[in-house]
Amino acid sequence: MAKYYDIDDIITDEEIVAVIFQKAASGVGIDPSSETDCVEVGSKVELPFWLAHELQQRQAVSMNIPTSFNQNTRLEIQADSACVDLRSRCPYFYEFGCKIAPLVGARNIGPLLLSAFKSRYKEVLTKAHTAAFTAASKNLTILTKEETNLYEAAQSSMAAFKKWRMGGPRFQKASILGRKRKSTE
Amino acid sequence: MYGRKACQLVKELASGEKGQLTPYNSDLFDQVIAECSQHHLELQSLIRKMQEEGLDVQTTRNADHYGALIHHLSLVRNKRCLMAYMYNRAEIIRSLIWKVGPVLPQQIQEKLSHTEEEYFKKHSGALQSYMSRLDLDLTVDMVPPKDPYIQVRVLDDIGVVLSDDKTTNFARHSMHFLKRTDAEQFISRGLMEELTS
Repeated sequence: MAKYYDIDDIITDEEIVAVIFQKAASGVGIDPSSETDCVEVGSKVELPFWLAHELQQRQAVSMNIPTSFNQNTRLEIQADSACVDLRSRCPYFYEFGCKIAPLVGARNIGPLLLSAFKSRYKEVLTKAHTAAFTAASKNLTILTKEETNLYEAAQSSMAAFKKWRMGGPRFQKASILGRKRKSTE
Repeated sequence: MYGRKACQLVKELASGEKGQLTPYNSDLFDQVIAECSQHHLELQSLIRKMQEEGLDVQTTRNADHYGALIHHLSLVRNKRCLMAYMYNRAEIIRSLIWKVGPVLPQQIQEKLSHTEEEYFKKHSGALQSYMSRLDLDLTVDMVPPKDPYIQVRVLDDIGVVLSDDKTTNFARHSMHFLKRTDAEQFISRGLMEELTS
């Protein structure tokens, strides 16, 4: 319930899952491939996660593993996880994986997430602490949302440390007004 | 349909930088509300159909039931997205008072809707009356400064300003030696910058 208003949680719930309908549903136009308003038993539809989750609890559908967690991704992560472009597959890779794992019944999603996160975490932190302001942009495009938050937290703590060491202006323009000029440190 | 527009609304809010407001999208908001009414109508027609067939609405699990369920879930999802949109915007507006002061700069004001402006005015009015009861200005910097005076350079044209005992003309690019409390409100609005030599 604490996540009701959380925006990241809402966007995570919107990820697409492929489901197979076990019961028919009439009066809904959610299946784009059927001509009528009804969804037949056994038809395969792509639904957002919030809908698939509720329907699975009432045993109306059965969920398959989403494409972001399939065998290809697993092999790539085992090969070299630091270079895998997770954002194009699923920008909320870790959160979505945590939600999907108990529902789909695949036991290997958990360890996969853990190993991917462990190796990428080290990369993220070293880049954040050592890279100059503009250099690391190539690396940032492959990070998921959670890793990007981590990166920004590390950068801001680095900047705070530098400011404490060397002193800087006490007052800043309020951040809500946006940055009209870049601050150079 | 089925929550996609509502999610678009929420994604728009997330697309701004952290802590920044995007312009209030009243069109999309109204569209989502219209979708909710549509879901509600479909839900009611499906329930009525089940009642006409003489089935018990509470316990039967036929195709109509699942269709009605999907409409109900979409309604709840739309509600959640709309509530989160308003809630997060209200949170940002509340923090505005502490950062920018009781007067809103123009660029922020055009991003707010009419009701949000009212909310801001009432909230800052409540804060002002509280501060005047305490006879203490709570919005100044929390850390006591080392030096009560500060050197500033003016960035934008402010014009002539009355302060305590004298009137100073804050022309662009001029430098002044001010008391910290006076300069604070100008710095937070981006009209001056502090000079650290």
